[in-house]
Amino acid sequence: MTSPLKAYKRANGAWGLRNQVLILPMHSALSSTARAIADGSDGAVAISHDWSGEKDNDLARIIFTLSGYASNPNIFATIFLSIGNPEEEQIIKGAQALGLTRFTNLLLPEIGSMEKLQQEAITLANGYVKEAGAQERVDAPWSAIVLGLECGGSDALSGITANPALGVASDRLVELGASSVLGETTEILGAEHLLAARAIDPAVGKKIVEMVARYEDSINYEGIDIRGAQPSRGNIEGGLSTLEEKSLGAAKKAGNAPFTGTLEFGEIPKVAGLYFMDTPGHDIEQLAGFGAGHINVVVFTSGRGTPTGSAIMPTIKVSTNTPMYESIPDLIDLDAGTIADGIETLAQVGDRIFDEIVQVANGKLTKAERGGHHEFALSRMYKTVVK
Amino acid sequence: MRKVLILDARDNIAVCLADLAEGDVVQQDDITITVKNKIPRGHKIATREIAKNDGIIKYGERMGHAVAPIAIGEHVHVHNILGDRLSAEQV
Repeated sequence: MTSPLKAYKRANGAWGLRNQVLILPMHSALSSTARAIADGSDGAVAISHDWSGEKDNDLARIIFTLSGYASNPNIFATIFLSIGNPEEEQIIKGAQALGLTRFTNLLLPEIGSMEKLQQEAITLANGYVKEAGAQERVDAPWSAIVLGLECGGSDALSGITANPALGVASDRLVELGASSVLGETTEILGAEHLLAARAIDPAVGKKIVEMVARYEDSINYEGIDIRGAQPSRGNIEGGLSTLEEKSLGAAKKAGNAPFTGTLEFGEIPKVAGLYFMDTPGHDIEQLAGFGAGHINVVVFTSGRGTPTGSAIMPTIKVSTNTPMYESIPDLIDLDAGTIADGIETLAQVGDRIFDEIVQVANGKLTKAERGGHHEFALSRMYKTVVK
Repeated sequence: MRKVLILDARDNIAVCLADLAEGDVVQQDDITITVKNKIPRGHKIATREIAKNDGIIKYGERMGHAVAPIAIGEHVHVHNILGDRLSAEQV
Protein backbone atom coordinates (compact mmCIF):
# COMPACT_ATOMS: atom_id res chain seq x y z
CA MET A 1 0.00 0.00 0.00
CA THR A 2 1.37 3.43 -0.91
CA SER A 3 2.20 5.55 2.07
CA PRO A 4 1.21 9.18 2.63
CA LEU A 5 4.54 9.74 4.40
CA LYS A 6 7.11 12.39 3.57
CA ALA A 7 10.39 12.23 5.47
CA TYR A 8 14.10 13.06 5.36
CA LYS A 9 16.22 10.43 3.68
CA ARG A 10 19.61 9.74 5.28
CA ALA A 11 22.76 8.58 3.48
CA ASN A 12 22.57 5.11 5.09
CA GLY A 13 18.97 4.59 3.93
CA ALA A 14 17.35 5.44 7.28
CA TRP A 15 14.47 7.91 7.47
CA GLY A 16 14.16 10.97 9.67
CA LEU A 17 10.76 12.33 10.69
CA ARG A 18 12.46 15.43 12.06
CA ASN A 19 15.57 17.38 11.00
CA GLN A 20 17.03 18.41 14.35
CA VAL A 21 20.38 19.95 15.13
CA LEU A 22 21.53 18.40 18.43
CA ILE A 23 23.96 19.94 20.90
CA LEU A 24 25.45 17.00 22.81
CA PRO A 25 27.64 17.61 25.87
CA MET A 26 30.22 14.86 26.40
CA HIS A 27 30.60 15.71 30.08
CA SER A 28 27.95 16.56 32.65
CA ALA A 29 29.76 19.84 33.41
CA LEU A 30 28.95 21.06 29.89
CA SER A 31 25.21 20.41 30.26
CA SER A 32 24.10 23.96 31.03
CA THR A 33 26.41 25.28 28.29
CA ALA A 34 24.72 22.93 25.81
CA ARG A 35 21.31 24.21 26.93
CA ALA A 36 22.46 27.85 26.61
CA ILE A 37 23.74 27.19 23.08
CA ALA A 38 20.43 25.62 22.03
CA ASP A 39 18.44 28.48 23.62
CA GLY A 40 20.66 31.07 21.92
CA SER A 41 20.38 29.43 18.49
CA ASP A 42 17.70 29.55 15.81
CA GLY A 43 16.21 26.19 16.76
CA ALA A 44 18.90 23.69 17.77
CA VAL A 45 18.07 21.33 20.65
CA ALA A 46 20.19 20.10 23.54
CA ILE A 47 20.22 17.30 26.05
CA SER A 48 21.89 17.17 29.42
CA HIS A 49 23.10 14.19 31.46
CA ASP A 50 25.09 13.34 34.56
CA TRP A 51 28.03 11.40 33.09
CA SER A 52 31.47 12.87 33.63
CA GLY A 53 33.73 10.12 32.31
CA GLU A 54 33.47 7.50 35.07
CA LYS A 55 35.09 4.24 34.07
CA ASP A 56 32.75 1.76 35.74
CA ASN A 57 30.85 -1.29 34.54
CA ASP A 58 28.35 0.95 32.77
CA LEU A 59 30.93 2.69 30.57
CA ALA A 60 30.16 0.63 27.44
CA ARG A 61 26.41 1.15 27.97
CA ILE A 62 26.89 4.92 28.31
CA ILE A 63 29.16 5.14 25.23
CA PHE A 64 26.75 3.28 22.94
CA THR A 65 23.75 5.18 24.32
CA LEU A 66 25.39 8.49 23.39
CA SER A 67 26.66 7.17 20.00
CA GLY A 68 23.23 5.83 19.12
CA TYR A 69 21.43 8.96 20.29
CA ALA A 70 23.81 11.30 18.38
CA SER A 71 23.16 9.34 15.16
CA ASN A 72 19.35 9.02 15.41
CA PRO A 73 17.93 9.56 11.89
CA ASN A 74 15.77 12.43 13.21
CA ILE A 75 19.03 14.41 13.52
CA PHE A 76 20.38 16.53 10.63
CA ALA A 77 23.63 17.36 12.43
CA THR A 78 25.19 16.96 15.87
CA ILE A 79 27.54 19.37 17.62
CA PHE A 80 29.59 17.57 20.26
CA LEU A 81 30.96 19.59 23.18
CA SER A 82 34.10 17.81 24.36
CA ILE A 83 36.36 18.26 27.35
CA GLY A 84 39.22 15.93 26.36
CA ASN A 85 38.26 12.51 27.81
CA PRO A 86 39.48 9.56 25.70
CA GLU A 87 35.93 8.11 25.41
CA GLU A 88 34.76 11.14 23.42
CA GLU A 89 36.51 9.98 20.25
CA GLN A 90 34.93 6.55 20.73
CA ILE A 91 31.44 8.06 21.04
CA ILE A 92 31.90 10.10 17.83
CA LYS A 93 33.35 7.13 15.89
CA GLY A 94 30.43 5.02 17.12
CA ALA A 95 27.93 7.62 15.93
CA GLN A 96 29.60 7.75 12.50
CA ALA A 97 29.44 3.95 12.22
CA LEU A 98 25.70 4.20 12.94
CA GLY A 99 25.07 6.74 10.18
CA LEU A 100 25.95 10.22 11.48
CA THR A 101 27.44 12.21 8.58
CA ARG A 102 27.21 15.89 9.60
CA PHE A 103 28.84 16.83 12.87
CA THR A 104 31.42 19.08 14.52
CA ASN A 105 33.38 18.32 17.64
CA LEU A 106 34.20 21.41 19.69
CA LEU A 107 37.00 20.79 22.17
CA LEU A 108 37.01 23.14 25.14
CA PRO A 109 40.80 22.81 25.83
CA GLU A 110 41.55 23.79 22.19
CA ILE A 111 39.14 26.72 22.14
CA GLY A 112 40.31 27.85 25.55
CA SER A 113 37.27 29.89 26.53
CA MET A 114 33.76 29.00 27.65
CA GLU A 115 32.42 32.14 26.04
CA LYS A 116 34.16 31.41 22.72
CA LEU A 117 32.95 27.81 22.83
CA GLN A 118 29.38 29.03 23.24
CA GLN A 119 29.68 31.62 20.46
CA GLU A 120 31.31 29.19 18.02
CA ALA A 121 28.68 26.58 18.77
CA ILE A 122 25.82 29.03 18.19
CA THR A 123 27.28 30.14 14.84
CA LEU A 124 27.75 26.52 13.79
CA ALA A 125 24.29 25.53 15.01
CA ASN A 126 22.65 28.37 13.09
CA GLY A 127 24.46 27.27 9.91
CA TYR A 128 23.21 23.69 10.37
CA VAL A 129 19.68 24.86 11.21
CA LYS A 130 19.60 26.90 7.97
CA GLU A 131 20.82 23.92 5.92
CA ALA A 132 18.34 21.61 7.66
CA GLY A 133 15.51 24.00 6.86
CA ALA A 134 16.43 23.96 3.18
CA GLN A 135 16.29 20.15 2.98
CA GLU A 136 12.95 18.89 1.68
CA ARG A 137 10.91 15.92 2.78
CA VAL A 138 10.52 13.28 0.09
CA ASP A 139 8.07 10.41 -0.43
CA ALA A 140 8.84 7.72 2.13
CA PRO A 141 7.67 4.13 2.58
CA TRP A 142 5.77 2.88 5.65
CA SER A 143 9.05 1.40 6.89
CA ALA A 144 10.18 5.00 7.57
CA ILE A 145 8.19 4.86 10.81
CA VAL A 146 9.98 3.26 13.76
CA LEU A 147 7.50 3.65 16.60
CA GLY A 148 8.35 3.43 20.29
CA LEU A 149 5.61 2.28 22.71
CA GLU A 150 5.74 3.64 26.21
CA CYS A 151 3.48 4.02 29.26
CA GLY A 152 3.97 5.88 32.51
CA GLY A 153 1.79 6.97 35.39
CA SER A 154 -0.56 4.07 34.64
CA ASP A 155 -3.98 3.76 36.25
CA ALA A 156 -6.78 1.16 36.39
CA LEU A 157 -7.95 2.23 32.93
CA SER A 158 -4.55 1.98 31.17
CA GLY A 159 -5.04 -1.67 30.29
CA ILE A 160 -8.53 -1.23 28.85
CA THR A 161 -8.36 2.18 27.10
CA ALA A 162 -5.11 3.80 25.96
CA ASN A 163 -2.88 0.69 25.86
CA PRO A 164 -5.09 -1.61 23.77
CA ALA A 165 -6.07 1.36 21.54
CA LEU A 166 -2.37 2.03 20.93
CA GLY A 167 -2.09 -1.70 20.16
CA VAL A 168 -4.67 -1.27 17.39
CA ALA A 169 -2.56 1.53 15.85
CA SER A 170 0.67 -0.45 16.29
CA ASP A 171 -0.84 -3.53 14.61
CA ARG A 172 -2.00 -1.44 11.63
CA LEU A 173 1.47 0.11 11.22
CA VAL A 174 3.30 -3.22 11.52
CA GLU A 175 0.90 -4.74 8.97
CA LEU A 176 1.76 -1.90 6.56
CA GLY A 177 5.51 -2.47 6.95
CA ALA A 178 6.51 -0.05 9.72
CA SER A 179 8.40 -1.03 12.88
CA SER A 180 7.10 -0.86 16.43
CA VAL A 181 9.09 -1.38 19.62
CA LEU A 182 7.71 -2.35 23.04
CA GLY A 183 10.00 -1.58 25.98
CA GLU A 184 9.91 -1.74 29.77
CA THR A 185 10.94 -5.21 30.90
CA THR A 186 9.47 -4.56 34.35
CA GLU A 187 6.04 -4.13 32.79
CA ILE A 188 5.85 -7.50 31.01
CA LEU A 189 6.98 -9.56 34.02
CA GLY A 190 4.47 -12.37 34.46
CA ALA A 191 3.20 -12.22 30.89
CA GLU A 192 6.49 -12.87 29.08
CA HIS A 193 5.52 -16.47 28.23
CA LEU A 194 2.38 -15.12 26.54
CA LEU A 195 4.40 -12.60 24.48
CA ALA A 196 6.96 -15.32 23.69
CA ALA A 197 4.14 -17.42 22.23
CA ARG A 198 3.63 -14.62 19.69
CA ALA A 199 7.27 -14.73 18.49
CA ILE A 200 7.89 -15.50 14.82
CA ASP A 201 10.21 -18.34 15.83
CA PRO A 202 11.06 -20.20 19.06
CA ALA A 203 14.50 -18.56 19.36
CA VAL A 204 12.91 -15.08 19.58
CA GLY A 205 10.40 -16.36 22.14
CA LYS A 206 13.20 -17.90 24.21
CA LYS A 207 15.06 -14.59 24.14
CA ILE A 208 12.02 -12.65 25.44
CA VAL A 209 11.73 -15.08 28.38
CA GLU A 210 15.50 -14.86 29.01
CA MET A 211 15.44 -11.05 29.05
CA VAL A 212 12.79 -11.05 31.77
CA ALA A 213 14.62 -13.77 33.74
CA ARG A 214 17.81 -11.71 33.53
CA TYR A 215 15.92 -8.72 34.91
CA GLU A 216 14.40 -10.84 37.72
CA ASP A 217 17.88 -12.11 38.64
CA SER A 218 19.18 -8.56 38.83
CA ILE A 219 16.41 -7.40 41.16
CA ASN A 220 16.67 -10.57 43.25
CA TYR A 221 20.35 -9.71 43.58
CA GLU A 222 19.33 -6.34 44.98
CA GLY A 223 17.13 -8.20 47.49
CA ILE A 224 13.83 -7.05 46.02
CA ASP A 225 11.07 -9.42 44.99
CA ILE A 226 8.43 -7.34 43.28
CA ARG A 227 6.40 -10.34 42.19
CA GLY A 228 5.01 -11.08 45.65
CA ALA A 229 3.47 -7.62 45.73
CA GLN A 230 1.76 -8.01 42.35
CA PRO A 231 -0.99 -7.40 41.62
CA SER A 232 -1.14 -4.90 44.45
CA ARG A 233 -4.12 -4.36 46.73
CA GLY A 234 -4.99 -1.23 44.74
CA ASN A 235 -4.82 -3.22 41.50
CA ILE A 236 -7.19 -5.86 42.93
CA GLU A 237 -9.64 -3.18 44.08
CA GLY A 238 -9.45 -1.74 40.56
CA GLY A 239 -10.44 -5.10 39.11
CA LEU A 240 -7.12 -6.74 38.19
CA SER A 241 -7.04 -10.36 39.35
CA THR A 242 -3.70 -11.84 38.26
CA LEU A 243 -0.13 -10.78 37.51
CA GLU A 244 -0.57 -11.97 33.90
CA GLU A 245 -3.59 -9.70 33.53
CA LYS A 246 -1.68 -6.67 34.80
CA SER A 247 1.33 -7.25 32.53
CA LEU A 248 -0.86 -8.08 29.54
CA GLY A 249 -2.52 -4.70 30.04
CA ALA A 250 0.83 -2.92 29.74
CA ALA A 251 1.97 -5.14 26.86
CA LYS A 252 -1.25 -4.44 24.95
CA LYS A 253 0.48 -1.34 23.62
CA ALA A 254 2.06 -3.84 21.22
CA GLY A 255 -1.33 -5.14 20.01
CA ASN A 256 -1.53 -8.69 18.69
CA ALA A 257 1.16 -8.71 15.97
CA PRO A 258 3.85 -11.40 16.06
CA PHE A 259 7.22 -10.45 17.56
CA THR A 260 9.92 -10.27 14.86
CA GLY A 261 12.78 -10.02 17.32
CA THR A 262 14.27 -8.72 20.55
CA LEU A 263 16.59 -5.75 21.01
CA GLU A 264 19.10 -5.06 23.73
CA PHE A 265 18.86 -1.60 25.34
CA GLY A 266 19.59 0.96 22.59
CA GLU A 267 19.95 -1.64 19.81
CA ILE A 268 18.72 -0.62 16.34
CA PRO A 269 16.12 -2.85 14.61
CA LYS A 270 17.49 -4.15 11.29
CA VAL A 271 14.32 -5.24 9.50
CA ALA A 272 10.76 -3.94 9.84
CA GLY A 273 8.49 -5.61 12.38
CA LEU A 274 7.41 -5.67 16.02
CA TYR A 275 10.19 -5.85 18.61
CA PHE A 276 10.67 -6.11 22.35
CA MET A 277 13.51 -3.95 23.71
CA ASP A 278 14.99 -4.65 27.16
CA THR A 279 14.62 -1.25 28.81
CA PRO A 280 14.12 -0.08 32.40
CA GLY A 281 10.72 1.04 33.71
CA HIS A 282 12.11 4.56 34.29
CA ASP A 283 10.36 6.59 31.57
CA ILE A 284 13.18 8.96 30.71
CA GLU A 285 15.97 6.37 30.73
CA GLN A 286 13.78 4.22 28.54
CA LEU A 287 13.22 7.12 26.10
CA ALA A 288 17.02 7.55 25.88
CA GLY A 289 17.24 3.84 24.97
CA PHE A 290 14.59 4.34 22.30
CA GLY A 291 16.53 7.33 20.90
CA ALA A 292 19.77 5.33 20.85
CA GLY A 293 17.87 2.52 19.08
CA HIS A 294 16.94 4.98 16.29
CA ILE A 295 13.24 5.04 17.07
CA ASN A 296 11.88 8.18 15.42
CA VAL A 297 8.40 8.66 16.94
CA VAL A 298 6.98 7.66 20.34
CA VAL A 299 3.45 7.20 21.68
CA PHE A 300 3.26 7.55 25.45
CA THR A 301 0.08 6.48 27.31
CA SER A 302 -0.55 7.92 30.74
CA GLY A 303 -3.20 7.85 33.44
CA ARG A 304 -1.78 10.51 35.70
CA GLY A 305 -0.14 12.62 32.99
CA THR A 306 3.54 13.33 32.49
CA PRO A 307 5.46 16.22 30.94
CA THR A 308 8.10 13.80 29.53
CA GLY A 309 9.28 14.60 26.02
CA SER A 310 12.37 14.19 23.88
CA ALA A 311 14.71 16.60 22.09
CA ILE A 312 14.80 14.41 18.99
CA MET A 313 11.73 12.09 18.97
CA PRO A 314 8.24 13.57 18.68
CA THR A 315 6.30 12.08 21.64
CA ILE A 316 2.52 11.76 21.34
CA LYS A 317 0.73 11.57 24.71
CA VAL A 318 -2.47 9.59 25.06
CA SER A 319 -4.54 9.84 28.26
CA THR A 320 -6.28 6.76 29.70
CA ASN A 321 -9.07 8.83 31.26
CA THR A 322 -10.90 11.99 30.18
CA PRO A 323 -10.54 14.01 33.45
CA MET A 324 -6.73 13.78 33.06
CA TYR A 325 -6.94 14.94 29.43
CA GLU A 326 -9.06 17.92 30.44
CA SER A 327 -7.10 18.87 33.56
CA ILE A 328 -3.83 19.81 31.77
CA PRO A 329 -4.85 20.82 28.22
CA ASP A 330 -1.32 21.55 26.93
CA LEU A 331 0.08 18.16 27.97
CA ILE A 332 -1.94 15.39 26.32
CA ASP A 333 -2.42 15.08 22.54
CA LEU A 334 -5.22 12.50 22.44
CA ASP A 335 -7.78 11.11 24.89
CA ALA A 336 -8.59 7.40 25.05
CA GLY A 337 -10.82 7.79 28.13
CA THR A 338 -13.84 7.88 25.81
CA ILE A 339 -13.58 4.06 25.64
CA ALA A 340 -14.23 3.72 29.37
CA ASP A 341 -17.18 6.08 29.12
CA GLY A 342 -18.68 3.92 26.36
CA ILE A 343 -18.54 6.82 23.88
CA GLU A 344 -15.96 5.41 21.45
CA THR A 345 -14.79 1.88 20.65
CA LEU A 346 -11.21 0.62 20.90
CA ALA A 347 -11.06 0.48 17.09
CA GLN A 348 -12.19 4.12 16.77
CA VAL A 349 -9.59 5.41 19.22
CA GLY A 350 -6.96 3.12 17.66
CA ASP A 351 -7.68 4.72 14.29
CA ARG A 352 -7.37 8.21 15.79
CA ILE A 353 -3.97 7.30 17.26
CA PHE A 354 -2.89 5.85 13.89
CA ASP A 355 -3.93 9.05 12.07
CA GLU A 356 -2.10 11.19 14.63
CA ILE A 357 1.11 9.14 14.23
CA VAL A 358 0.96 9.67 10.44
CA GLN A 359 0.37 13.43 10.82
CA VAL A 360 3.14 13.79 13.40
CA ALA A 361 5.48 11.75 11.19
CA ASN A 362 4.76 14.25 8.43
CA GLY A 363 5.66 17.20 10.61
CA LYS A 364 2.71 18.07 12.87
CA LEU A 365 4.18 19.15 16.21
CA THR A 366 3.20 17.29 19.38
CA LYS A 367 2.33 19.17 22.56
CA ALA A 368 5.64 18.06 24.10
CA GLU A 369 7.51 19.51 21.10
CA ARG A 370 5.59 22.79 21.28
CA GLY A 371 6.32 22.98 25.00
CA GLY A 372 10.02 22.22 24.48
CA HIS A 373 9.99 19.20 26.84
CA HIS A 374 13.44 17.72 26.19
CA GLU A 375 14.16 15.06 28.80
CA PHE A 376 17.15 12.72 28.76
CA ALA A 377 18.69 10.36 31.32
CA LEU A 378 21.42 7.76 31.03
CA SER A 379 20.51 4.25 32.09
CA ARG A 380 22.86 2.49 34.47
CA MET A 381 22.90 -1.10 35.72
CA TYR A 382 25.54 -0.65 38.43
CA LYS A 383 26.48 1.78 41.15
CA THR A 384 28.63 4.66 39.86
CA VAL A 385 32.31 4.35 40.70
CA VAL A 386 34.21 7.60 40.95
CA LYS A 387 37.33 7.37 38.81
CA MET B 1 -23.55 4.38 26.44
CA ARG B 2 -21.88 1.02 26.49
CA LYS B 3 -22.01 -0.89 29.79
CA VAL B 4 -19.25 -3.41 29.10
CA LEU B 5 -16.12 -3.52 26.97
CA ILE B 6 -15.18 -6.65 25.04
CA LEU B 7 -11.45 -6.31 24.35
CA ASP B 8 -11.09 -9.18 21.87
CA ALA B 9 -13.52 -11.48 20.06
CA ARG B 10 -11.80 -14.53 21.63
CA ASP B 11 -12.41 -13.33 25.21
CA ASN B 12 -14.73 -15.10 27.67
CA ILE B 13 -14.94 -12.03 29.90
CA ALA B 14 -15.81 -8.36 29.40
CA VAL B 15 -14.78 -5.31 31.43
CA CYS B 16 -17.62 -3.42 33.13
CA LEU B 17 -17.71 0.29 32.27
CA ALA B 18 -20.25 1.04 35.00
CA ASP B 19 -21.18 -0.45 38.37
CA LEU B 20 -23.57 -3.32 37.57
CA ALA B 21 -26.23 -4.65 39.95
CA GLU B 22 -27.80 -8.11 40.18
CA GLY B 23 -30.55 -8.47 37.58
CA ASP B 24 -29.22 -5.74 35.25
CA VAL B 25 -29.43 -6.72 31.60
CA VAL B 26 -26.53 -5.88 29.31
CA GLN B 27 -27.55 -5.83 25.67
CA GLN B 28 -24.70 -4.90 23.39
CA ASP B 29 -22.57 -6.22 20.50
CA ASP B 30 -24.91 -9.16 19.75
CA ILE B 31 -24.82 -10.35 23.36
CA THR B 32 -27.44 -10.26 26.07
CA ILE B 33 -26.26 -10.92 29.59
CA THR B 34 -28.20 -10.92 32.82
CA VAL B 35 -25.91 -9.79 35.63
CA LYS B 36 -25.76 -12.44 38.38
CA ASN B 37 -24.18 -10.39 41.17
CA LYS B 38 -22.97 -6.88 41.95
CA ILE B 39 -19.88 -5.99 39.84
CA PRO B 40 -17.92 -2.72 40.26
CA ARG B 41 -16.72 -0.60 37.33
CA GLY B 42 -13.42 -1.83 35.93
CA HIS B 43 -14.05 -5.42 37.09
CA LYS B 44 -14.75 -8.42 34.84
CA ILE B 45 -18.02 -10.18 33.96
CA ALA B 46 -18.24 -13.65 32.37
CA THR B 47 -19.62 -13.51 28.81
CA ARG B 48 -19.44 -17.30 28.28
CA GLU B 49 -19.93 -20.38 30.47
CA ILE B 50 -16.55 -21.15 32.07
CA ALA B 51 -15.81 -24.59 33.54
CA LYS B 52 -13.44 -25.19 36.45
CA ASN B 53 -9.80 -25.10 35.18
CA ASP B 54 -10.79 -23.37 31.92
CA GLY B 55 -8.52 -20.50 30.88
CA ILE B 56 -9.70 -16.94 31.46
CA ILE B 57 -9.18 -15.13 28.16
CA LYS B 58 -8.69 -11.34 28.14
CA TYR B 59 -7.17 -9.39 25.20
CA GLY B 60 -7.39 -12.72 23.33
CA GLU B 61 -4.77 -14.16 25.69
CA ARG B 62 -4.81 -16.41 28.75
CA MET B 63 -4.53 -14.49 32.02
CA GLY B 64 -5.25 -17.36 34.45
CA HIS B 65 -7.77 -20.14 35.08
CA ALA B 66 -11.08 -20.72 36.86
CA VAL B 67 -10.95 -22.43 40.26
CA ALA B 68 -14.74 -22.90 40.22
CA PRO B 69 -17.36 -23.05 37.46
CA ILE B 70 -18.39 -19.52 36.41
CA ALA B 71 -21.79 -18.81 34.82
CA ILE B 72 -22.51 -16.11 32.25
CA GLY B 73 -23.12 -12.83 34.06
CA GLU B 74 -21.02 -13.67 37.13
CA HIS B 75 -18.29 -11.48 38.58
CA VAL B 76 -14.86 -12.87 37.58
CA HIS B 77 -12.18 -11.97 40.10
CA VAL B 78 -9.79 -13.28 42.75
CA HIS B 79 -12.56 -15.36 44.42
CA ASN B 80 -13.03 -17.65 41.40
CA ILE B 81 -9.85 -17.38 39.30
CA LEU B 82 -6.09 -17.77 39.82
CA GLY B 83 -3.06 -16.77 37.78
CA ASP B 84 -1.31 -19.67 36.05
CA ARG B 85 2.14 -18.61 37.26
CA LEU B 86 1.85 -16.49 40.35
CA SER B 87 -1.04 -14.95 42.13
CA ALA B 88 -1.76 -12.85 45.14
CA GLU B 89 -3.49 -15.80 46.84
CA GLN B 90 -0.30 -17.83 46.94
CA VAL B 91 1.70 -15.08 48.60
